[in-house]
Amino acid sequence: MKAWIVTTSAAIGSLIDLAREVDPEPVALVLGAASVADAVARSGVERVVWAETSGPVESYRDAVASLVAEAGADLVLVPASDAERALAGGLAVALDAPLLTLPIGLKNGLMTHGVHGGIAERTVAVERAVLVADGGGLVDSGTSVVVEQVVLASASGLEIVDSQPAPAASVDLGTSRRIVAVGRGVRAAEDLAVIGDLAARLGADVACSRPISGLGWLPHDRVIGLTGRRVAPELYVALGVSGQLQHVVGVRSSGVVVAVNTDAASPLFGEVDYGVVGDLYEIVPALIRALS
Amino acid sequence: MRIAVAAKWAPDPKDASVAPDGSVDWSRARPAVSDYDAVAFVVGRLLADALGAELVGVSVGAADLGTPFARKALLARGLDRLVIVADDRLAGADALTTGRALAALVRHVGAVELVLAGEASVDEGAQLVPSVLAADLGWPVLSGVGSVSGCPGALLVERRTDAARETVRCGRPVVLSLASDAATVGVPGMKDVLAAGRKPSEAVELDALGVRLSAPQMVGRARPAERPRRRVMIDGSDGDAAASALVSALRGAGVLS
Repeated sequence: MKAWIVTTSAAIGSLIDLAREVDPEPVALVLGAASVADAVARSGVERVVWAETSGPVESYRDAVASLVAEAGADLVLVPASDAERALAGGLAVALDAPLLTLPIGLKNGLMTHGVHGGIAERTVAVERAVLVADGGGLVDSGTSVVVEQVVLASASGLEIVDSQPAPAASVDLGTSRRIVAVGRGVRAAEDLAVIGDLAARLGADVACSRPISGLGWLPHDRVIGLTGRRVAPELYVALGVSGQLQHVVGVRSSGVVVAVNTDAASPLFGEVDYGVVGDLYEIVPALIRALS
Repeated sequence: MRIAVAAKWAPDPKDASVAPDGSVDWSRARPAVSDYDAVAFVVGRLLADALGAELVGVSVGAADLGTPFARKALLARGLDRLVIVADDRLAGADALTTGRALAALVRHVGAVELVLAGEASVDEGAQLVPSVLAADLGWPVLSGVGSVSGCPGALLVERRTDAARETVRCGRPVVLSLASDAATVGVPGMKDVLAAGRKPSEAVELDALGVRLSAPQMVGRARPAERPRRRVMIDGSDGDAAASALVSALRGAGVLS
């Protein structure tokens, strides 16, 4: 199979590993800044094709799909972020290839992947596929390949008239060693300060369930679950997280799982190593004292 | 002007059970309007009223989508009318087939200038259908959309990406996938449900749309291996005692030094 990775980010370590399962010489098509293309050139792919972009990357969907289809790619790997998902639809239509997510393994033309949000797995025969998955981290192979620049046509119709950088510095929860996640049990945005204090003492990153981001209390890149990140820290502490499946599917690969919740019937308690039935407003300050 | 809301009638996987052989039993999972789509109806209704547009629901799915119960549940969310394809050949369809079928339905409805969708479906969560729908129609697509307003000849869309919050001017037609916090969502009231019974709905035959059905060949399935968990419960009525029990347990487990 011929594998192409289409990305706007250099954090594609997992995608390179998957691509290598079917093609020892995967190609990366990088859209965006030259610095990203340079980083990808050091990541161990065989070729880097780079297109500078201006305006929304979604405008390049049709040009990207044509380029990759004409190159004869059978497997296209795309990081699971908003911009790349827009490209993935174009690639799937152009290649007439199924769109697959949640990869578990890829061998001999057979792909095992999660379905229904990850509650079940299936193995499918893939002659062609577009795979949308967590990109993984940055990789530096120590050597660099030449970056080949191409010019892609952008479709008209989308124009950025204003752009503000995202308010908080991004974290890559996919690589976090420890995570403290908050859910609706937290009653006010101000209360996140004490959560942050606990996280600092644990050396953990702060994450949340979808409703907390919906309230604007934490940025979208902190959301864990079906429409957020899937994480695998060595320690995952859930505070006031009810344990809806849409969140839990994102944490099942964690090492030790701790939950604090007032509701003893919280579904998350079925999937923990340590569950504290109690009020996080008492337990969190007590934990901070215990860790001091 | 005509605005379409693409919505899914789907069961919630939290109510499904998975057998050791990986087969999924959905019998206890009642299908409903997919959670993530609720926001698209609210934004669609506000925008349709502001622009004097007709708001049409489009949905494709298994035969149960054709029941009066399902149609009313969709129509009760502020639609002017509903157009569906309800066919068991679409049960469990993947993002490519679902997106293509929705695109064919949007073409069938005709004169649609904007399609609004939720960011994901509750049963798959792949967040890919709006992208396929747009690609098949040949329309642009934007995701993570927080608000939409009309301006002469175009739409102004605020959306978030991983790195920024952007305002994008986009021409029509266009497909917009809405962030789940784009609007406050309520539950339809009795008045909405009663009114829904009087609104028109149309069922289109799948074969009449000429949609190519495709699915990768499945060669195996499994229940994901569950990580064994200790399930130690700690009484939290005394905060300090619970905290100290937890900290020593975590030290014992080797995750705290």
